[in-house]
Amino acid sequence: MRSRITGATLTVAVLLLTGACATSEDWKVWRDHTTHFASGEHGFFSMRNNKDGSNPKVYRSDIEEARNQNWWGIYAVTVSPTQIFQN
Amino acid sequence: MSWLAIATVTAALLLGSAASVLAAPEDAITSVDLYTTAKARSLAATYQTQLLRFSEQIYHCLPWLGVTKNGIGFRQPKGAASDDRYLSVWISIDQADDGRFGTLPLAWRVSAMFSRYGVDMLRRMTQLTGIASDADVYGFSVILSWLKPGSDGTQPISETLALFIDKASLGDFLAKRLPASEFTSRATFNVFEGKDPVGRVPLEVWEDNFNSTFKLKNYVLAKGQKC
Repeated sequence: MRSRITGATLTVAVLLLTGACATSEDWKVWRDHTTHFASGEHGFFSMRNNKDGSNPKVYRSDIEEARNQNWWGIYAVTVSPTQIFQN
Repeated sequence: MSWLAIATVTAALLLGSAASVLAAPEDAITSVDLYTTAKARSLAATYQTQLLRFSEQIYHCLPWLGVTKNGIGFRQPKGAASDDRYLSVWISIDQADDGRFGTLPLAWRVSAMFSRYGVDMLRRMTQLTGIASDADVYGFSVILSWLKPGSDGTQPISETLALFIDKASLGDFLAKRLPASEFTSRATFNVFEGKDPVGRVPLEVWEDNFNSTFKLKNYVLAKGQKC
């Protein structure tokens, strides 16, 4: 009986630990893609320029790059075109 | 990356539609061979140049907006019985997760997005040479998608407004001969949360000239482009 309890406890512990590790790692993945911008403006309005602030310029390619980093937006669940219209 | 993360990304990739993929100007135009009727193919071929210019104008002059792949074309609303064609553009709006915006009810968010971007896009489409006066063009349509506020912590989803309006009503509305309330009652529209249809919401329209007046600070227009 005692060994069964020990076994069950170990199993639960292993499950919790592996689950916790997965959750932790998953959270890191999500956290590493903090792609929303803190301001209430459009995302790329806060894009970088020269770090010293000199000669700031924004090119269309910068905006593309910012969009490509928009992890959330790219993979957001969006209505399918076939739900809206037909060709 | 753990199995859960892989599963999450895979699911997101599978669930995310082509609509979430933004396009370069030429890829934003629905190609002629994708249409199913002769009328649509004819319209697409006739106005190819105008549509490409429109796409380029959005790409270069309104960089805070993105057009989805195949997002510009002569569409029919889903389930339409007759071959009425609407010039349609599907816009994805870069909108940061604004706390104030997130506190608005869905109907207000939809109204704000339509007032700011939808009306301006409809106006621009009516100004494309020849299209509004073409008897084969029944109306205009705008599809607006943005990230649902607060959905970034779990599975991000888009909110989408899809609106279709006949060209006579749109012309009267833009000329201020038709009140906004009558315009919205005549329009066919649906709201979606992710892939889930919400249906019609109380849609209010007000003056908002952001899209036609805003200038992105320090933005350098590509050579050869005019805005």
